[in-house]
Amino acid sequence: MQQTLWFAAAVVIALGVGLAQDSTDQAVNQGKAKGSKGTNAARGTNARGRGAPRDPTQSPASTPEPKTVTPQTYPAEQVQAGEQRFVAQCGFCHGRDAGGGETGPDLMRSELVAQDLRGDKIAPLLKQGRAGQGMPAFDLSDADVNAIVAFIHDQKTKSEALGGGRRSVDASDFATGDASAGRAYFNGAGGCSGCHSTTGDLEGIATRYRGLALLERMLYPTAGRPAPARPKATVTLASGETISGTLASQDEFTIVIRDASGDRQMFEKKLVQYKIDDPMSAHFDQLGKYTDADMHNVYAFLDTLK
Amino acid sequence: MALGMLAAAQGVDPAQLLHPPADSWLTFHGDYSGRRHSSLKQITPENVAELKQIWSFRTGNQQIKASPILANGILYITTPDNIWAIDARTAKQLWHFQNPPNNAFHIGHRGAAIYKDTVYLTTPDCHLIALDAKDGTVKWDVVIADSAKGYWSTNAPLVVRNHVLVGVSGDFDNLPGQLKSVDADTGKTQWIFYSTLLPGMKEPAGAAEPASGGATGGQMWNTGTYDPELNLVFVGTGNPTPVLNGTMRPGDNPWTCSIVAVNPDTGKLAWGFQASPHDTHDWDAAEVPVLADAEFNGQPGKLLMQASRNGYFFVLDRTSGKSLLTVPFATVNWSKGIDAQGRPIPNPAKFPAKDGVLVAPNESGATNFRPPSFDPKTGLFIVSAQDGYGIYFFKPEHGAYGWAGADYGVAGRAFLRAIDYRTGKIVWNHPIGDGAGTAGVLTTDTGLTFSGDVSGNVMALHSSDGATLWHYNIGRSGNAPITYELDGKQVLLVGGGGSLYAFALP
Repeated sequence: MQQTLWFAAAVVIALGVGLAQDSTDQAVNQGKAKGSKGTNAARGTNARGRGAPRDPTQSPASTPEPKTVTPQTYPAEQVQAGEQRFVAQCGFCHGRDAGGGETGPDLMRSELVAQDLRGDKIAPLLKQGRAGQGMPAFDLSDADVNAIVAFIHDQKTKSEALGGGRRSVDASDFATGDASAGRAYFNGAGGCSGCHSTTGDLEGIATRYRGLALLERMLYPTAGRPAPARPKATVTLASGETISGTLASQDEFTIVIRDASGDRQMFEKKLVQYKIDDPMSAHFDQLGKYTDADMHNVYAFLDTLK
Repeated sequence: MALGMLAAAQGVDPAQLLHPPADSWLTFHGDYSGRRHSSLKQITPENVAELKQIWSFRTGNQQIKASPILANGILYITTPDNIWAIDARTAKQLWHFQNPPNNAFHIGHRGAAIYKDTVYLTTPDCHLIALDAKDGTVKWDVVIADSAKGYWSTNAPLVVRNHVLVGVSGDFDNLPGQLKSVDADTGKTQWIFYSTLLPGMKEPAGAAEPASGGATGGQMWNTGTYDPELNLVFVGTGNPTPVLNGTMRPGDNPWTCSIVAVNPDTGKLAWGFQASPHDTHDWDAAEVPVLADAEFNGQPGKLLMQASRNGYFFVLDRTSGKSLLTVPFATVNWSKGIDAQGRPIPNPAKFPAKDGVLVAPNESGATNFRPPSFDPKTGLFIVSAQDGYGIYFFKPEHGAYGWAGADYGVAGRAFLRAIDYRTGKIVWNHPIGDGAGTAGVLTTDTGLTFSGDVSGNVMALHSSDGATLWHYNIGRSGNAPITYELDGKQVLLVGGGGSLYAFALP
């Protein structure tokens, strides 16, 4: 499917030779929404090779809360100090209790937190941030970082003992759709089968994703397995030479292509011709077409693909 | 520095706020109208491409999301718990004040205010601190709300005569929305306007009684605007609480998600207009109520315009609060139409549900804290907009306290969008990336629009058609650019990351 990102006519007359340099210092904005976070993950974190793709079990509330791999305890004073720092610095997005806030995920359901041992994963994340997902880097003292780690683990220990989730969305909540109507939409009005196949990329999808994770992936996949199709980009230099690959990043002025060898090449848009085919824009367009019944029906159909 | 201190000693007469001099930016919005439109003419579409960075100032602190203010050659810039005074000529720090560490949310800070020789800072833990503009010493420090209950403040106060108007935030708890007027000289509370009340709560004398149907919330976290002729302050109010659970708060829930007109001397409500009756999607109407005196339907109008987080552009007669125009400016699917009062009618089918509903806009909204600009020359209202979708959930198990539900953004596209204020028609639409923007907008009389994209570029666009004329990458745009003229030179000042960047022509 031929779709262009950002510009209806994304072709500019070639005037010269593009610049070959990296653009890793370009910050990617995340706004406030979980949506923007997810959206940018595909073109921010992944495209820049910063960290692994987001694990689909990391934030969605419908997946079971991952168990702490190595149980750990912390002194009460440190937990208390950590609560103060956490609420002040992290609470708006992740909730005062780390169970999810206005914009950020429930940390009790985070794989990274479950795997963390005394900050070996959380501390570097705090210091570096996740530019592609809206999380800023924090300039905190080691003592503060350690206290925040202590608080998060303490909350997780309590949460695992209690079970449930404050803002939970359970897979059973979604059992309202009609799978056969969903199949008809998938193959017909929705146009899904133009790109997807239930015996190909979607085979067994419901064994890998359940509940909210499956719904989110259906609406706008941003990461996970199989990796969502990345935009393809081709740049034509003034010399006539063409460079093709996946779109690593772009803004209004530059385009960065990851070429076949894995190298990233940056070009000034006004100096080259370029073309971007983004299969994800069909997903975005579909968001304006679904009725809620369509959405629930397609979900019910995908949920049969086990 | 000596010059700056001498000048600061003269103080800022509050009457100056009515007619801010070219070498100043005295309030969050630059003036009382909220237009963020400058009459400066040195930087033009013809020469804007020659803009060069002339200095930067590193706070070494959190993200700057504030509009700086400039008075008597001194810039004041804030982050949560912090304010710096900077010599605008040398970019040298004159002083820095830091509030003690505290537990309240530190999500951002919008800026300071000035009156005579006093600068005002709100803090996350809901103090209002009066500081000596010259040296940053504390004159007084008062508590404006109880942060232990869940209030916090990011607010840039609005000064009207000797009233310092301060708002707070508080979405995670069921708390009444309050705007407080504090005596600029003494710190004494003059009045409190409540947009909602706790059940059984006695309203203070002078406050209007809202019939909010059991809702709390309606926080006035953004800076309002002021019409000196009508002597009315206009403020946008936030969403109701509980946020996503509307079942226990029947009715329209005034004055949440509203624009309210309040007398700054008494705190009395003159009128209210609800942008989102019975909101269940966290769509504050706290966005800037922009004021302009302009023709509407062939008649001279005293207008108030707002591009609201719920995706609708409103034009009101600000003398009465009566609707003149209600038109969507971004993708919306939650309304059944517009009622006789010009308010969108929420569609119950799009209330958060157990199995989820797909809603446009998403929670972060069609716009948000990013201040827009109105250019009276072109009649364009230019806003950082988002077309986005989210899924919203509510089931009884989510309860009736605080968020009381769950919602997840799905995807969004960000734009700078120019709206014809007479019709609501989109005149141009400039894509700025995926997700939502973070930069507000500034326009100037020479036909320039300054803002930023989601990739950290500060940009100058042609106001008439949205074409890009200049850009410069600062990593991240934090808020609306401001402009002023100092020693004959027009300066463009932008916050990005923890730094301020100043640009001027060579």
